[in-house]
Amino acid sequence: MTAKPHRKFDPMTLRRTVIEMAYAGSTAHIAPAFSIIEILAVLYRSHLNLGDGSPKSPGRDYLILSKGHGIMAQYACMHELGWLSSEDLGRYFSDGTVLKGLSDAHVPGVETTSGSMGHGLSVGVGLAWAAKRLGTKQRCFAIVGDGEMNEGPIWEAFLFAGHWGLSNLTVIIDNNGLQAMGRVEEVLRLGSIAEKLQAFGFETREVNGHDEGALDVALQQLDKLDSSRPRAIVAKTVKGYGVSFMHDNNIWHYTRLTPDTYRAAVTELDGNKKNAASV
Amino acid sequence: MRDAFSAALIKVAQQDERVLLLTGDHGYALFDEIRRLLPDRYLNVGVAEQNMVGVAAGLAKAGLRPILYGLSAFVPIRVLEQIKLDICYEELPVVMIGDGAGFVYGALGASHHCTEDISALRAIPNVRILSPADAHEMTRAMELAFALERPVYLRIGKCDIGAVHKGPINYDWGELIEMRPGDGGLGFIATGSMVAAALKEALRWKGSSVWSAPSVKPLNTDQVITICRSHRAVITLEEHSFYGGLGAAVAEISSTYTPCWIGRIGVQDRFAQYAGSYEYLRSEHGLDAAGISRQVDEFVERIGNASLRLSKSSRPGVLVPETK
Repeated sequence: MTAKPHRKFDPMTLRRTVIEMAYAGSTAHIAPAFSIIEILAVLYRSHLNLGDGSPKSPGRDYLILSKGHGIMAQYACMHELGWLSSEDLGRYFSDGTVLKGLSDAHVPGVETTSGSMGHGLSVGVGLAWAAKRLGTKQRCFAIVGDGEMNEGPIWEAFLFAGHWGLSNLTVIIDNNGLQAMGRVEEVLRLGSIAEKLQAFGFETREVNGHDEGALDVALQQLDKLDSSRPRAIVAKTVKGYGVSFMHDNNIWHYTRLTPDTYRAAVTELDGNKKNAASV
Repeated sequence: MRDAFSAALIKVAQQDERVLLLTGDHGYALFDEIRRLLPDRYLNVGVAEQNMVGVAAGLAKAGLRPILYGLSAFVPIRVLEQIKLDICYEELPVVMIGDGAGFVYGALGASHHCTEDISALRAIPNVRILSPADAHEMTRAMELAFALERPVYLRIGKCDIGAVHKGPINYDWGELIEMRPGDGGLGFIATGSMVAAALKEALRWKGSSVWSAPSVKPLNTDQVITICRSHRAVITLEEHSFYGGLGAAVAEISSTYTPCWIGRIGVQDRFAQYAGSYEYLRSEHGLDAAGISRQVDEFVERIGNASLRLSKSSRPGVLVPETK
């Protein structure tokens, strides 16, 4: 039996990387990283123009992780790109290292500093506006959390994007339905995100955010649309997706892995990978 | 001074096509000229200052040179965290203009008064602060701000009180400009609208010197040390809280390098209670000529008495490290 070629940005491999990082650094925020794994995988694999392939490539597309709490998922992708080494990941959270627990613009390839919510999208619309002004053809993809949509500047940025017809902007809402202290609908009811985005002037799609095929199709469709409107995808996701005991369980926004939960997570992810490979 | 700002703005925008003016729906007639001459360099982002700062960060990251305009009560105060994270952390080349600082919007009340912007920004790394006293200092401030390609906050206070310089003035970052030479008992260091007030008060004090500090951060340490050493006491004046502003910056240098009596004249730790004109509010906060004279007199009397009580010999002073 010949080994299958390594599939770039395999979601279960990325989750495994996140688990290794989180265990090495004894860090929280596993669940918010898990809900955006497929979104990032599809973007990095098929949609982001990475220019010459280096994180500092001047003409590359922008990827804004406005919900900076999911940063480990992006680190896992950057590891696959060779932008981060295994040593970088293995030393996560060690004293004097570069990678922090929230997205940080000092890391090449990470566009904005988040963690304080509602910052990244505004920077993203600025980048998209500048790309239009300068005629660079660069696109900007911004991942915004549904909990993050509590923040006022998100709506200011939506208005700005609609007003200026930023068709090179694609906002992807990570609609996992949970925020730090509870259900989004219980904390501050959002109602229909898609309808709201449409009302702000976005071309909008709703997809299962863990279905890579569906994400891929939605991104392609939006890219091909002959429309001067900004684009948005409401990605229905599950916080903690990929490890059954983390599914939709907000404890995993905060909890650190123990040797037992680490082994259980790894066993499940490795099992899923094997199942996926044998299909 | 606003004319000087507008002229300097148009000049840099004409020289550098990357320059863009962003406003949060403020600046009514101030931008008539740039809108007429360079309409595509003017971007009104709406009453959405937080987004405006993020947008400016994005524009700067993409290679443009945004100038953010707002009232100082909003830029920087309302958007302090955006300035900190989106602009200063990455040291992006954004020039931020805070107009109407101090009590310029007298009768409009607390929402439009701004006497905390310098303190707030001084504690944020990577941003420099300019506070010109007149049109001449403003023209140079704009040159400095644009040449730097890093975050700069330019504070515009009351600007229709006349010039303090006779003509164009050159100064560098941190530099204190000698307005009146003197080696008497008192030295005055002032910024913005208070430079004119300092010049007036100095006439009451024999041999006093007066310095204008258009660059509040950085502030030239060596120069402040020299001024402190040249006088028995230094009085600072600013239309800003007496916490954390120019007075604090001078006192920090003095206390570290050359202890000297520093009398900080500014807005006491309180809001304005009543509506009123700019002049009323200055006087209500003790920042009119009479109020300044009263405060300087009290300070001089206090240090006179204190100097007698705290003679050098009475101070305990063992400065030797503990040995094992």
